[in-house]
Amino acid sequence: MNAPLKKLSELTGVVFDGRRSGYVPPKTLSISPKLKLHKKAKKDLDPVTFEVVRHALWNVNEEHGATIQRLSGSPVAMYALDLNPSILTQDAEFVYFGPYMQYMSGVTDTQVKWTLENRSDNPGIRDGDMFLANDPWVGAAHQMDVMLLCPVFWRGELFCWVTNCLHQYDIGGITPGSFCPSARDAFDEGILIPPVKIVEGNEIRRDIEEIYLRSSRKPSAVALDFRAQLAGNMTARDRILSLISRYSAETVKGVMRKIIDDGERAFLKKLSRLPDGIWRDRTYVECCRPGDRSVHRVVLSLYKNKNKLVFENEGTDPQAGGINATYSGWRGAIMVALNELMCWEQYYAVGGALRHVEFNPTPGTLNCADFPASVSTAPVQCMEISLYPAYNVLSKMIYPDPELRRDLMCIGGTSQWPATIFRGIDQWGERYGYLLVDPIGGAIGAFSHADGISTGGQARTPICKLPNVEHTEQSFPVLFLYRKEITDSGGAGKYRGGLSAESCFIPHGTDSIVHDTLSSGNAIPTSSGMMGGYPGAVNRYRFLKQSNIFEKMKASELVKDISELHGVEETLQLRQQDFIQNPSDVYAVLWSAAGGFGDPLERDPAKVAADVENGDVSAAAAKAIYGVVIGDAEATERERNRIRRLRLHNSKTRSRKLDGPIRLLATENLAVRGERYACAKCAADLGSIKDNYKLGCVRKDLPIEASNPIVGDPKRFIDPQPQFRQFCCPGCGLAIENEIAVAEEPPLRDVELFLK
Amino acid sequence: MSYLVGIDIGGTFTDCAIVDRAGKLLTTKVPSTPPDFSRGMLDALGAGAQALGVSLDRFCRDIAFLSHGTTVGTNTIIQKRGAKVGLITTKGHEDAIHIMRGSRGYGGRDIRKVVHFPETSKPAPIVPKRLIRGVSERVDCFGEIVVSLNETEAEAAIRSLLAEGVQAIAICFLWSFRNPAHEQRVRSLVENISKDVFVTCSVDIAPKWGEYERVTATALNAYLGPVMSGYLQKLDFSLKDLGYRHGLQITQCGGGTVPVGRAGEAPLLTLDSGPVSGVTASMFLGAAMGEKNVITTDMGGTSFDVSIIHDGKPAYSFVSNTDQYEYFLPKVDLQAIGAGGGSLVRVKPETRTMTVGPDSAGAFPGPVCYGRGGSVPTVTDAELVLGYLDPDNFAGGKMKLDFSSAAKAIQDLGKKINMDAMECAAGICRIVELQMADVIRKVTVEKGFDPRDFVLFAFGGAGPAHAGVFARELGVRKVVIPQRKAASTWCAFGAAAADVLHIFEHTEIMPTPVGADRINRVLDALQSQAKKRMADEGIAAGRQRFEFSLDVRHKGQINEVEVLLPWSRLPADFELKLRKMFVERYEQLYGRGSALAGAQLEFVVSRLRARALTPRPKLVFSKRSSKTMAKSAIRKRRDIYWPDLRKHRATPVFDGEKLISGNQVRGPAIVETADTTVVVHPGTTLRLDALGNFEIGFR
Repeated sequence: MNAPLKKLSELTGVVFDGRRSGYVPPKTLSISPKLKLHKKAKKDLDPVTFEVVRHALWNVNEEHGATIQRLSGSPVAMYALDLNPSILTQDAEFVYFGPYMQYMSGVTDTQVKWTLENRSDNPGIRDGDMFLANDPWVGAAHQMDVMLLCPVFWRGELFCWVTNCLHQYDIGGITPGSFCPSARDAFDEGILIPPVKIVEGNEIRRDIEEIYLRSSRKPSAVALDFRAQLAGNMTARDRILSLISRYSAETVKGVMRKIIDDGERAFLKKLSRLPDGIWRDRTYVECCRPGDRSVHRVVLSLYKNKNKLVFENEGTDPQAGGINATYSGWRGAIMVALNELMCWEQYYAVGGALRHVEFNPTPGTLNCADFPASVSTAPVQCMEISLYPAYNVLSKMIYPDPELRRDLMCIGGTSQWPATIFRGIDQWGERYGYLLVDPIGGAIGAFSHADGISTGGQARTPICKLPNVEHTEQSFPVLFLYRKEITDSGGAGKYRGGLSAESCFIPHGTDSIVHDTLSSGNAIPTSSGMMGGYPGAVNRYRFLKQSNIFEKMKASELVKDISELHGVEETLQLRQQDFIQNPSDVYAVLWSAAGGFGDPLERDPAKVAADVENGDVSAAAAKAIYGVVIGDAEATERERNRIRRLRLHNSKTRSRKLDGPIRLLATENLAVRGERYACAKCAADLGSIKDNYKLGCVRKDLPIEASNPIVGDPKRFIDPQPQFRQFCCPGCGLAIENEIAVAEEPPLRDVELFLK
Repeated sequence: MSYLVGIDIGGTFTDCAIVDRAGKLLTTKVPSTPPDFSRGMLDALGAGAQALGVSLDRFCRDIAFLSHGTTVGTNTIIQKRGAKVGLITTKGHEDAIHIMRGSRGYGGRDIRKVVHFPETSKPAPIVPKRLIRGVSERVDCFGEIVVSLNETEAEAAIRSLLAEGVQAIAICFLWSFRNPAHEQRVRSLVENISKDVFVTCSVDIAPKWGEYERVTATALNAYLGPVMSGYLQKLDFSLKDLGYRHGLQITQCGGGTVPVGRAGEAPLLTLDSGPVSGVTASMFLGAAMGEKNVITTDMGGTSFDVSIIHDGKPAYSFVSNTDQYEYFLPKVDLQAIGAGGGSLVRVKPETRTMTVGPDSAGAFPGPVCYGRGGSVPTVTDAELVLGYLDPDNFAGGKMKLDFSSAAKAIQDLGKKINMDAMECAAGICRIVELQMADVIRKVTVEKGFDPRDFVLFAFGGAGPAHAGVFARELGVRKVVIPQRKAASTWCAFGAAAADVLHIFEHTEIMPTPVGADRINRVLDALQSQAKKRMADEGIAAGRQRFEFSLDVRHKGQINEVEVLLPWSRLPADFELKLRKMFVERYEQLYGRGSALAGAQLEFVVSRLRARALTPRPKLVFSKRSSKTMAKSAIRKRRDIYWPDLRKHRATPVFDGEKLISGNQVRGPAIVETADTTVVVHPGTTLRLDALGNFEIGFR
């Protein structure tokens, strides 16, 4: 047994300098005196000037993003909008970032801070310079997310930074496209570039650019994108300089500071309305390398102590195979949820909130991996698995406040990305390779007061669009049999999670297609529900060899589901490589759906009936999970009571009602009365607030298949046995909370309050 | 005598512009008459006849061209009063319209709020899932039929939809724009089964690449069809009854008009056509003034709309959105932001910040000064407090404004952030003016146009108060506030000035090298479609004008650029010249050096704009020009707070109706007309030109 890994706050003698361990910026940056910083900021800004300049800065960033979008040559980047521009102060506090790929914001400030610390002396940071960077140990999601950092100078002083990040089509590594599922470590992956001065005195350094382009299989596409990034920075820099010449540097800096300070004030106000405590979430990643049948645990804890938040990943398994993320990836992922749930009304100005958020990672873990772990798949694996639990812990933290409660959100769809990576010769006779973008259609999780949004996109890329089927069929040799929302995929709950969809295609205009899979969350759902809600569907590949599709097509009888066809079913593994799809082989991929909120037995039966009519929920699930007999209110009530009794069957826990007023609602179903937890519905005692309330509940361990109708036998992919555990009120049978765990794990203490 | 008549029906007023052969313009304004808007239209014509001193019958007989802009379609969507629609589509792809490409339709919404998911749900579906039927059939990307149409399934689908009581059926199959046979066959099956149901095929409304935006266009068209075609037929009959002898023309969002028959089958074309008519009018006026580059701005109560006319032609967009639905439709591009007279002003005392808009007080409760119960100050309140507006003479004296309530509201607001009332009112105007400058920047600078090459037209009740400021901010040459008389019925005037316009599109992705023959065959087909339609409409060949264009992109890129062809057919050696034109336009849009020299190109859409020239209004230039102002034009001075001067000043006020060509007014000053208040800011000079427009120049 290895010694347990230690967290940052417990370690001594480890340098978090972005070389072996991820770069964790010190509180005070060490910047060379050669670099003069512009610090003067006007304090007493009049409201009109503030609003005018604030609006202009927002527009600068928007134009920056628009410039990159117009110029980038990469369709994958453009459909997925895999880019983001930012403005930061001279000392790398966020002023604004953009509404595109949210991951990228969270890795930008560390990148700039590292550059300030490590480049201000040699080679120096001067007017007209720009730095190229993609090293995930310094600050990047993965190697393909290449950043261009541009210092903006005013009269010899560093005034601020404008930066952008853009996903590149290919920057090397053993797999075309640079997602390397079978990488042993970072040396099998794309080039690593710690910040390097690629533009000097407004001139591109050809020598550096050539090193960069030389790493790519598609140097012309990378060169085009580099120009898009360059143009974006130049546009933003010029506009900021013209703002300075019009309003004065002190005023513009004052506005930047005030944007951050106002955001900070709003954030603190929210924190002051919330109780202190710890909130935790636990989830699992599957298949870290081809042939791996184990699962890898990821734990996230959020500590709130007055006006400070601390995120930790203690309990997360050691780094392994090709699924890892670095510290900056983990932090960046958490910042996505933090922004969306707690800072959304600041419009992408998270700098102020970050002053009160600390990260205390345990190095050597899956989502804080040390060099040279493989990290190229981080954004679809260990960052995703770091992000989505952050929605859960933050949602539970803000729930006690009735107003903030309305901002919470359950985990959305595509919480692990089921990749379809394929290649060959296309219908135009040319070589191609593609990562199917469809799963970006995702699904949005349920809210505390409304259903989630079916195929509403991935929460981390709020304005992306998946390509039309006709776009994909034009560019690649496939024919889609269907792309449809999947009945029952949305997590059940008082408010239902959004449905996800499935894409199904055959080769068309080609002899065959060569595929790789890359996925996780196929055995164990990763979009758990919340506060009694059920998880959304798992990822699912279906592959039917030698099917009768051509007979069907000839007879003009198309199918709406792969199960209507005959053929040889083959179970695809989660990192299966180089398998062949011949013309009559049918391939289908379902991406995971969104989690539900609250006990499904509490859902309005009229809503369930509408769901059934719309095909969102099957009649079978309506009865089994929601206890609804369509069109019969009495039978519904009987069925719901029967299910509640079943939940308490054989329970030895005796129920005792608590009186006294409710101090607060810790969750939808969990009240605090005096010093004890109680069922929010029937006031049954659930134990002291010093203990895990789950121990006061009636626990039912169900097979994982019970959590969602789409979940199948986990043994196809993993050896450990996952469970769907329900923790119910001993008094009334209300599902207080559910959890998904591997059999041997103890119940997670997801809520721990420190009440005075 | 023969007349050109344009009629614009809005939610509140129905405007009518009548131009006689000599070019004399007469305008009338009557209340709209919802829900039966056709009555208001007849009232407007009646008022016109009365003003001309002839009987309504006689007047209608003498109309040579009558075109009509309507908001019936737009209102149908806003009020969700459209038809019950059934959709027939390719089996397996029934959900495309619901999946919405995995987006929530953020077009036109506040992008800053897009990460707040609780307020970004998808819109209510145009067609619920239970009214969508998948039918076995399949065409591939080459336009080849790979699964023939299953007619048994199709018939069953039609019958079951009719049994559900649908009033309209939309038909949209994958790749139908490459091969429309299946859509057309299902249409005739529908027509065999029922004569009463409205039918739309996607190829007839949006033959474009991308099934989500195409099916949405088709479904929306079906949703509007029964309502609109009923309305238009009724109108057409009434006019014929009155003796109007020509075809009624309906304004459309591509600029120009379509005959009433086409508008009935493609009502989607009428969405947003009202503001587009304003652009048509601007184009017409710009041409008369010799101005080829115009920024048109329209500031009303709730929004600020901007469009660009470059080299005499309007900018187009090809994907539109309404109520979060995104759909294909060639449309004159209008950018809008929520900045109008009714935009609400809010402050946060704890951060000492102030914001204006994007939400609006609308007409009800409206600004505080309307006295209809509004308590949150608006831009209009700020204008009143500064003294720009005369409380006793607002809208030509039709409405009294409550100065003291507005002043108190702004003072109270200012107090919360430690500003006095005047500073606060001036600040509100400044914020909104710079927001407007920013949106104009987006459609000019960010699209490769230099505002200094443009003049700026300012319409709308609220625009002329601020145009002088945001125009200077952008560096445009001058501001024009169009003809006094026409300004208030500008869209009606635009309707009268419009040509008949049909846009035909063919989508086929053709990578270079491609022979001229192949493209010319496409152009031939487009032109024969156009000729047939125009012949059916009785348009003589001599009046037909054709303009061809290609949407071109770098192979593999997403951005397409429309290149207008200088040829009616491509010459054999077209490629080099076309590439040059593409690169020029591309680099204008995206920056010098952005085009990839020598890269493979793709032609995506071939387009034909087929116009029928119609009689035009003739603008009359005044021959007299004088600097001497009539005494009666000078009104009582008013105390006005000028933000630039940071003080009050007794300011001259003029009656705009009494100014004559050549008259000049040096700012600071105010010029009032019955419809608007022109604020002549310090440092600017207003001059009346020979057409009767106000021009503001910068000193």
